[in-house]
Amino acid sequence: MVIDFLQITVDGLLDGGAYAIVGLGLSLTFGGLRRLNLAYGATAMLAAYLGAWLHGQMQAPVWLVALAVVACAIVIGWYVERLCFAGTRDEVAPSRGAPIAGVDGREVVALASSFAIWMQLEQVAVNLLPRHLNPFPSLAASGEWALGPLMVRPDRLLVALLAAGLVFALAMWLERSRTGLAWRATADQRTAAHLSGMPVARQQTWAFAVACALSGVAAFAVLSIDGQVTPMFGMWVLLKGLVAAMLGGLGSVRGVLWGGLLLGVVEAHAQSLFGASGREFSTYALLFLVLVVPWRRGERGALFGGLRA
Amino acid sequence: MLEINDLATAYGKIEALKGVSLSARAGEVTCLLGPNGAGKSTLMLSLAGILKPQRGSMKFEGEELVGKSPAQIVERGMALVPENRLVFPALTVRENLMAGAYKRRDMGGIRNDIEAMFGRFPRLKERTDQLAGTLSGGEQQMLAVARALMSRPRLLLMDEPSVGLAPLVVAEIFSIIRQLHSEGVSIFLVEQNAHMALKVAQHFYLMEQGRVSFSGNPGELADDDVIQRAYLGQKRAA
Repeated sequence: MVIDFLQITVDGLLDGGAYAIVGLGLSLTFGGLRRLNLAYGATAMLAAYLGAWLHGQMQAPVWLVALAVVACAIVIGWYVERLCFAGTRDEVAPSRGAPIAGVDGREVVALASSFAIWMQLEQVAVNLLPRHLNPFPSLAASGEWALGPLMVRPDRLLVALLAAGLVFALAMWLERSRTGLAWRATADQRTAAHLSGMPVARQQTWAFAVACALSGVAAFAVLSIDGQVTPMFGMWVLLKGLVAAMLGGLGSVRGVLWGGLLLGVVEAHAQSLFGASGREFSTYALLFLVLVVPWRRGERGALFGGLRA
Repeated sequence: MLEINDLATAYGKIEALKGVSLSARAGEVTCLLGPNGAGKSTLMLSLAGILKPQRGSMKFEGEELVGKSPAQIVERGMALVPENRLVFPALTVRENLMAGAYKRRDMGGIRNDIEAMFGRFPRLKERTDQLAGTLSGGEQQMLAVARALMSRPRLLLMDEPSVGLAPLVVAEIFSIIRQLHSEGVSIFLVEQNAHMALKVAQHFYLMEQGRVSFSGNPGELADDDVIQRAYLGQKRAA
């Protein structure tokens, strides 16, 4: 009984690693630009489709597919950024943007247009490879490692460790480096960042590119375990990533890891208790709780905050 | 040091500056007075490169600044302490100072200057690792001044440093301005608090509705009709 409980928790933690890795880019975009990119999942999905196409039609080796997925995610992300975000980020004067329902009007514009691009990217992917299931290069390990009485799949452990590594590397870089400080400063007070001589527009383009590259890394890592990709992958990335990022506080880099792990463990236990629908239900229940309960509205742990390590 | 000629800046179709000409001399405190909506902050944001003027020129030590980016202007040696302070609220006091030195690469010099700022503003030293958003208004104003000084400007632009502060704190801010001036920093100051500003300034301008309407030296013109009518006589909104 205790062993079962621990085994489910371990499985949940490993799932949580995957959630953290897909949430990282979303949190970075939100923290850095104060924009929610709804096309984020679709970007990862289309990049994965191009990888699947290279794999299936061109018999490309695995390393080339991995490179192509990350590169395509950056190119598609750049397209999304030009269309949805570039035009909405110029500051006319400090806090003089027209508010809509209490929100900066340009945020609403960016949100709506990124939804439209999401639909567009999904259609492009479906036209490229019309079948629902498409083979993706598989790196899935067949065996399981026994850790005492617990079983651990090494491929999924690798993804979880990759997530933790990326999170801590990014967090350290934001905390310690001169450019990391400038990114946080720009996310915090854009006009003051200008006045301090920071290249605000260039930083925002870079933040977006890094977030998209991360979505490519996440897509490859997750799909290489599944060995296949469907059009639903975009929705999965956006949903799980968003919940993980929000649980940890949008904009917080380390928070994404804790958020992802929490989501993974809760989902795993919900599934063992209530089945597959219980798993889905627990995702939304957790999101609801985090939005309604005001337990971490402090300075550092703000639910919607600027970029922080 | 700073020569502004026929500068015009608009928000969309609304022209906030309608051809402003004035100058600030090296080693002096120059003060710009005027009621709300006169265009003072627009002028400051134009000088800092945040707003793009439609016409006119602004020369700093002979070099044209119109068309330069905020980063280039900071590099030339001009830094703005913006209206409402605009500290980085989620960064610590030390990180705010580091951010102000973004354009500099001399790590040793930056470290020395941070210590120098803590010497000048002891209250910031006590709050080194505190988030700037948790500071009081007066402390935030000191931090904003210190952050601007971290870029080692030859001309410091200050936009309403006393606004919203208690009288004692205002006096403290002005004593800092006086001290900076005595150390040779040139200052271009926008103020609503004319009584205090005229005490520290060597030269002043009066701005109304996007134009400079008057200029002079404080001693000779304290009771002048123009200032009385346009400014000093009015009660400031609480």
